[in-house]
Amino acid sequence: MLKTLPLCVCAAALALGACGKSNSNTMAPVQSSQAKEAAGDKTIAASLDQNSKFFQAAKAVGLDATLAGPGPYTVLVPSDNAFGKAEGDALKNPADPKNRAEITRILTYHILPGVILSDDISKAIENGKGKALLATMGGETLTATKDGGNIVLTGGDGSKARVTQADIKASNGVVHDIDAVLAPPKTAASSGRPQQEKR
Amino acid sequence: MTRLILAAGVAALAIAAPAAAGPHGERGGHGNGGHAVAQKHGGGGGGGQQARQARGGGEARVQARGGGEARVQARGGGEARVQARGGGEARAQARQNRGGERSAMRIQARENRGAERRMAMYEQKGRAQGKANVRAAERAANRANIRTAERGRALNRQAVRQEMVRRNEVLGRNVAPVMAIRENQRAPLQIRQGERVNFAQNLGFGVGGCPPGLAKKPVACMPPGQADKLLGQRLDVVRDQVAFRDLPNRLQYVYADTPNYYYRYGDGYMYRVNRSDDVISALLPLFGLGYTVGQAFPAAYPYYAMPAAYQPFYPSSPYYDYRYADGYMYEVDPYTGLIEDVDPVLGYGYGYGQVMPLAYSAYNVPYQYRPYYYDTSDYYYRYAPGAIYQVDPTTSLITAVAALLSPNSLAIGQPLPIGYSAYNVPYAYRSTYYDTPDAWYRYSNGSIYRVDPASQLVTALVVSALT
Repeated sequence: MLKTLPLCVCAAALALGACGKSNSNTMAPVQSSQAKEAAGDKTIAASLDQNSKFFQAAKAVGLDATLAGPGPYTVLVPSDNAFGKAEGDALKNPADPKNRAEITRILTYHILPGVILSDDISKAIENGKGKALLATMGGETLTATKDGGNIVLTGGDGSKARVTQADIKASNGVVHDIDAVLAPPKTAASSGRPQQEKR
Repeated sequence: MTRLILAAGVAALAIAAPAAAGPHGERGGHGNGGHAVAQKHGGGGGGGQQARQARGGGEARVQARGGGEARVQARGGGEARVQARGGGEARAQARQNRGGERSAMRIQARENRGAERRMAMYEQKGRAQGKANVRAAERAANRANIRTAERGRALNRQAVRQEMVRRNEVLGRNVAPVMAIRENQRAPLQIRQGERVNFAQNLGFGVGGCPPGLAKKPVACMPPGQADKLLGQRLDVVRDQVAFRDLPNRLQYVYADTPNYYYRYGDGYMYRVNRSDDVISALLPLFGLGYTVGQAFPAAYPYYAMPAAYQPFYPSSPYYDYRYADGYMYEVDPYTGLIEDVDPVLGYGYGYGQVMPLAYSAYNVPYQYRPYYYDTSDYYYRYAPGAIYQVDPTTSLITAVAALLSPNSLAIGQPLPIGYSAYNVPYAYRSTYYDTPDAWYRYSNGSIYRVDPASQLVTALVVSALT
């Protein structure tokens, strides 16, 4: 009895220790008040101007619900002026169903997985010796660099955008305003025929 | 299943037969384990003599007939029969005794001829039976060969997939979970006939003009050729050909009525109708190109316009080919050119406002997203590579992209994909999981992973996290 008792005690201690460890790894931490305060109450969709061209384009392709969901996403939002200067007709007429594929392709190039604050991009640029690749939800990447103190993003087709206002925090991610529309690299898919109405 | 029921029935009969037999031998008897029938007829005046037949097939029958004639038959597999009539022999013997050798020879000759005829008849029967058996065996062998070939083809497909997975692993791409999901997506096709019927009824199959062949196909549709004929016709004229449905509220923004036109949805198409004369002036197919399962994929379409991000997930092989078109991925039989499956592809079109293929009838949202996206009477949610869709249950139209999922997801043991150099952990977890010289943390598709900075390998999934 005396010999087995210490063994039992040790086994119980190990079991409890293991439980404690697994809990610490798998249980979601309670969102601290600091985190809540940082995130705010509004979702990305709610924090965007509902009449902005970006939001109207997102609504035209069903992505407004995405930006109101749990996320989290990092969204690069071009200004309305940038939409006006963008090449191609798709963004100028987002309500036309035949432009849906192209708009979706462009907008998902502006949505990144997770919460990437401007400091995180800066550190990644620093670690990457001057540039960092950022994955997008469209499956492509864009390149981040620094120009003076500003973050500059470069699209797959060479288009460049500067971050004009960074770290607009929302409950389901973060928004960075940019001054140009980024275009993903041209692929065979983008040259595919758009959906056509039969008349 | 049918075989199982038949086997159970035979077993039940075999058990029941001896049990039903009487204790005194009035009924009973087994023939080599087969079914047994025993009958006793107390007939006529002679009574009591028995004739016994024993058949090689395991059947034993005992008959007793009146009439004083004893007969014993033995059949060996139905081909040979030996018969001896006790009464006949007795009569022949009497004649022999009375009439001499000639009559005996005639009787013997007659019996021999009779026996020969019977033998010939049975031989013919046996040959016919043999031929039938051969034909049945050949048919069975053919069926078995076809089944074997189909199994072989399936195994080859599996082998090709495994090879593609292996290659992708070598290249550092992790496609196994996606392949598994795609397999699961196909599986429900086998089991939801009832749902398919309901779906067909809801969308007007049979009423809406789909031929019976297409009515069984998983995508709601009217054949494009048939739909074309509706152009230029008045809406009230085609009402009996198309099952029109109200458009989901969310899609009324996309297909907004104007002073000149209004829109109606039915059988997989959006119809634009002139307000002035109610004539259908345009129609828009809402399932990819307007082609569906069982139809030929257009040969003139760009050969391989698949987005690069999805090429690892849809590897072509000698057994199936994939073609991308307008937000949908089509699995095409390379030999016939017919479309075998349709998947909405996310990233380049999303299928928003289009029909969700019925192949997605089963709830398949990834585990970590289930608390947020579950089926209700108002909406269904379905996962397909790249996103979770919100689907209107009445029309099966995709009404929103509920969540985006990164195509380049992280996986344990795999290298950190390109583009994850920046720290991206959600707010609530930043105080717990922050980068150190020994460990990085990265968020992807609802989970936070630990990454070894030195090797850049994903080493663990530390928490399932959604804000």
